[in-house]
Amino acid sequence: MRRVLRWLLALLVGALASAAPAQTVSPAPDRVAVTIYRAPRRAPDQAIDRAWLQGYALITEQRRVTIPAGRTTLRFEGVAAGILPESAIVTGLPHGVREKNLDADLLSPRSLYAGSFGRPVTIRHTIAKRIVEEEAILRSGPDGAAILQTRDGFIAADCAPSQDALVYNRVPPTLAAKPTLSVELDSPAAASVTVTLSYLAWGFDWQANYVATLRPDGQSADLLAWVTLASSDTTSFADAETMVVAGAVKREGSAPNPAWSARDESLTFTCFARPIEIPVLAALAPPAPALVVSAPAPMAMDIVVTGSRVRVAGFVQQEDLGDLKLYRVPDRTTVAALAQKQVALLDRVAVPVGIIYVSTIDSDGDATPPRITLRLRNRTDQGLGVPLPAGPVALFQRRGDTALLIGEGAIADKAVGEEVEAGVAEATQVTIESAHPASGKDWEAYRLTARNANSYPVRFEARFAGENLPRMSRMTKKLVRKDGKAIWSVEIPANGTRSFGYRIKGRD
Amino acid sequence: MRMWLATTMLCLPGVAIAQSAAPDPVATSAQGDLAVTIYNNDLALIQDTRQLALPRGRSRQEFADVSAQIRPETVTLTAAGAGIIEQNFDYDLLSPETLMSKSVGQSVTLVRTNPATGAETRETARVLANNGGTIVQVGDRIEILDRSGGRVVFPSLPTNLRARPTLSVTLDSANAGTRPATLNYLSRGLGWKADYVALFDEKVGKLDVQGWVTLTNTTGTTFNAAKTLLVAGAVDTVDGGNRPSFYGGRGTPGSRGNRPGTETAGREQLGDFYLYPLAERTTIANAQTKQVSFLDVAGAPAAKTYFYRNPWLQKLDEAVSVDTVLKFSSSREGGLGDALPAGTVRVYMRDARGAPQFIGESEIPHTPMGSKLALKTGEAFDVKILPVVEKRERISDNRWRTTMRYTLTNARAQGVTVELAQAGLDGWWHDTKITDESQPSTRVDADEAVWHVAVPANGTASVTATFDTRF
Repeated sequence: MRRVLRWLLALLVGALASAAPAQTVSPAPDRVAVTIYRAPRRAPDQAIDRAWLQGYALITEQRRVTIPAGRTTLRFEGVAAGILPESAIVTGLPHGVREKNLDADLLSPRSLYAGSFGRPVTIRHTIAKRIVEEEAILRSGPDGAAILQTRDGFIAADCAPSQDALVYNRVPPTLAAKPTLSVELDSPAAASVTVTLSYLAWGFDWQANYVATLRPDGQSADLLAWVTLASSDTTSFADAETMVVAGAVKREGSAPNPAWSARDESLTFTCFARPIEIPVLAALAPPAPALVVSAPAPMAMDIVVTGSRVRVAGFVQQEDLGDLKLYRVPDRTTVAALAQKQVALLDRVAVPVGIIYVSTIDSDGDATPPRITLRLRNRTDQGLGVPLPAGPVALFQRRGDTALLIGEGAIADKAVGEEVEAGVAEATQVTIESAHPASGKDWEAYRLTARNANSYPVRFEARFAGENLPRMSRMTKKLVRKDGKAIWSVEIPANGTRSFGYRIKGRD
Repeated sequence: MRMWLATTMLCLPGVAIAQSAAPDPVATSAQGDLAVTIYNNDLALIQDTRQLALPRGRSRQEFADVSAQIRPETVTLTAAGAGIIEQNFDYDLLSPETLMSKSVGQSVTLVRTNPATGAETRETARVLANNGGTIVQVGDRIEILDRSGGRVVFPSLPTNLRARPTLSVTLDSANAGTRPATLNYLSRGLGWKADYVALFDEKVGKLDVQGWVTLTNTTGTTFNAAKTLLVAGAVDTVDGGNRPSFYGGRGTPGSRGNRPGTETAGREQLGDFYLYPLAERTTIANAQTKQVSFLDVAGAPAAKTYFYRNPWLQKLDEAVSVDTVLKFSSSREGGLGDALPAGTVRVYMRDARGAPQFIGESEIPHTPMGSKLALKTGEAFDVKILPVVEKRERISDNRWRTTMRYTLTNARAQGVTVELAQAGLDGWWHDTKITDESQPSTRVDADEAVWHVAVPANGTASVTATFDTRF
C-alpha cells in the first residue's frame, strides 16, 4: 500500500518539477578563439605525443543567447571535452550567475541500467528467430546485472536458451549525452545578450620547428620556422581565432592520460556459475570484472600544411603577453578535432651562422666526441633578432637541387640577443684524442689532439669547467673564458691536426 | 511479501500508459530535508530529516538514497519517542551468482521453451550446489545447469541480498505515528576548494579577483535541494588530510615574500574555520562540479616581480628564465580584504586586442586576511640568468673559497629588477661567510643571501660573490 502512495507522491512531485526553471540551450559558439599552450614539462627535443597531448588551451567563446525573465538554466553545448570546469568564466550576463554546473553523469549502458532500478522494462527474448517480449521490473544494481522480476518470479537475464535484451521506456532525466556546462540565472526581464564563455581544456600542444639550410659559403643559412599545433579534443573549433603562447607557464595539475582515465561504462550480464571459494583464499578479492578499456580512438591525423617553402602565405604575428610571447595565426582557421596543423613562424635568408665542432673535457681529462653544432646570434644586425620559442632544429645542406639532412637538435626558448647553439650530430671526420703522457705527485698531464679529415678547415672548441681553471697549469695555448667555461678554440686546417697540452692538479 | 508483489505487478500496466506524464521516481528520492556540510578534505557531514511512520514497538526501517560513499560507522539517528535497537549496513550485493548461491537447497522453476512451437513446459528443480557451476535435481535426474537447460525462475529474493548497499535501523517506538527522524552521517566523495580568477593589469598595477567555491560530488548519489554549508578547513580525521606547506621553513620551494596575515575577515566563523553558507538550497547532482561565487574585488594593488633561487654550487650551461611572480595582499587596506580559502589562483592578462589570456596559475593554502602573497605564475621569456662557478679553491684543510658569477640578461624594452637568492648557505656548519661581492646582499635568513639586481632595458647585469664555506 505504501508503494502506491509513493507513486502518487511521485506524480505530484513530477508535476511540480515540470513547473520548475526554464531551460535555454546555446547549441554552439558564434565566435571562438583558441589559445594553445605547450605541454608544461615537455623538453624542447621531445616530440609531441599525439596519443597523449599534455598541453592545454584557453578557449574563449562568444555566444548570442536570449534569456527569458525569471529563473533559467542556460546550457552551453559544444564545449571542449577536456574542459576543466573549475576554470570556466562566464561574462556578459547583466545580472551575473547564481551558480555554474558541469554535469558529467553521462548516459551509458551502465547508467541507463542503474537509473532504471525498480522501474518497469521489457525483456526481449529471442529464441530460434522467435521474439517474445515480457514486462518486468529491474531488481539488481549494475554490479549484479541483471535480475528482473516477471509475472512468474525472479529471473536472470540472458542465462537461458534465449538471447535476452532489455528495452527501456525512458532515459533517466539527469543523464546527459556529453559533459554539459550550465549556469543558473535570475533575470528580471527577458534579454538578448552576448555571453563570453572561457575555460581551460587539456588535450592540446604546440611547438616551433626550425629548418636551417646551409648556404654554399658555409657561413650563412636560410632559416624557416613553423608553428606546429595539435588537438586531441573531440570538438572541432571552426573559424577560430587561433593563438599559441610561448614561455613557461606554471600549471598545478597535469593532463590526464586518455588511456587510463576512461571510465568503464559498459554493462555486463552475468550468470549463475560461481567460482569455488576455498576458505583460505576467501581473503582474496573476487576477480575484477573484465575491464573494457576503450582503446584510444585511431588518430586520423591530418597533417595540414598551410604554406610551403616557396610561398609562405602569412606568418604568425608576435606580441608580448606579460612575460610571455603570444603568436597570432593571421587568419581565422579551424582547429580540428584530432588533427595537427602547421603555420609559418618566420622565414629568413642568409642568416650568418657558424658550424663548430664541440667537445667537453671533464676533470679526469676525458673528452666527449665532437658534435656538429649550429651557432648563431639572435640579433637584428645578424639577420634575426626575434624571440625563438623552443623546438627541434633540423640542419640541411644543399646538394644540387635537393638538400640533405645533416642532423637534428633542439633549442630552448631563446630571447632576442642570446647566442643560440644546437648540437645536431656527432662528427665522423673531426676527432679528438685525449692522451695522458705523464703524472706527478699531485698533478696529471694531458694532451688533446684534434684532427680534421675534411678537405676544408673547421672551427673546433674544447670546453673545460671554468672553476677548474685555477688548478690547470702549463697550458700550451691560452684559454678563453666564456659563460663559465674555459675554452680552447682553434681552427683546424683542411686535413690538419692541432693539439693542446696542460696539467691539472689532482683532487686533494 | 506476496501482497507487496501483487501491488507492484498491479502498477505495471498503468506505468506504461502514464509514461508521457513523466512521474519520474528518479526525481523523487527517499531523501528528506537535507543539510550538507562540506569540508575541504573529501569529507562531508550530511543531515537528512525524514518523516518516519513508526508502528508501536519494534520495527526495521530502511533508509534508501543515502550517500553511496557513506561511512556507516558514523551514522546516528534521532527520532522522538523511539530508541535504536541496532543499525545495519548490508552490502551483500544481489547478482545472478549470489541469488543462485542463496538458493542452494531450495526449489526453483525451470521453464523450457520448445524452439519450434514456442510451447513452454515447467518443472520444479532443487538447487543442490553452486560451485563453479550449478547442479540441480529435477525429479530423479541430476543435471549441470547450462543455458540450454531452460530459464530458471526464482520464487522470491533472499531478504539479505541488496541491489545496492543499504542502511537499516531497528527502532523501538513507544507509540505509533509519523514523526521527523534525523539521520546524521559522514560521507566521502564530496569536497570543495576555491578557484580564483585574477585579471592583472600590469600598466596600472591593479588586480581584479573573483573567488568561486568549486564543489564536486563523486559519491554516486544526488543530493536534492540541500541546505549547503562549506567549511574552510580540513578537519582532522583518522585517515588524515594533507595540505601544502607554503610559508615554510628551510628549503621552501616557493617564491620569497609569502607571509600569513593577522586580520580577521568579516565572515562567520566556527572555531578556527571560516564558514561559507550557500545563499539558497541547491541540488548537488552526482558527478557534478558546481561553482558559486563568494568574492568579487576590483582594483586591488598588485605588482609583478622577478625571482630566481640558485641552489648551492649550481652552474648551468645555458641561461634559464627567471620566475615571474605576482605580489598582492589579502589585507583590508590595499588588498583583497578577505580570508582566502585554499585553492588555485588563475592569472589572466589582456592581449593586444583586449582579450584576456591565461598567464599561469598557483595554488594557495588557507590564507588569513592580511597576508602577503607572492605567487609564481610562470617564467619570463626575456629575462634570463646564467649562474656559473667562476672559481673554487681549497684554502685550508676544512675551508673552500668559491666565486659565483650570475649573469642576468633582459631583452625587454623596460628595465627590470630581479630578486636573486643564493640558497644552501647554511649547511651542517653555520659559518658560511661572503667575503667579497660586487653589490651588497641581504642575508634574509641563515640559508639564503639575496641581491636585488637592476637589469637595464635590452641589457645585461652581473653579480659576483665569493663564499667562504666548510665544503
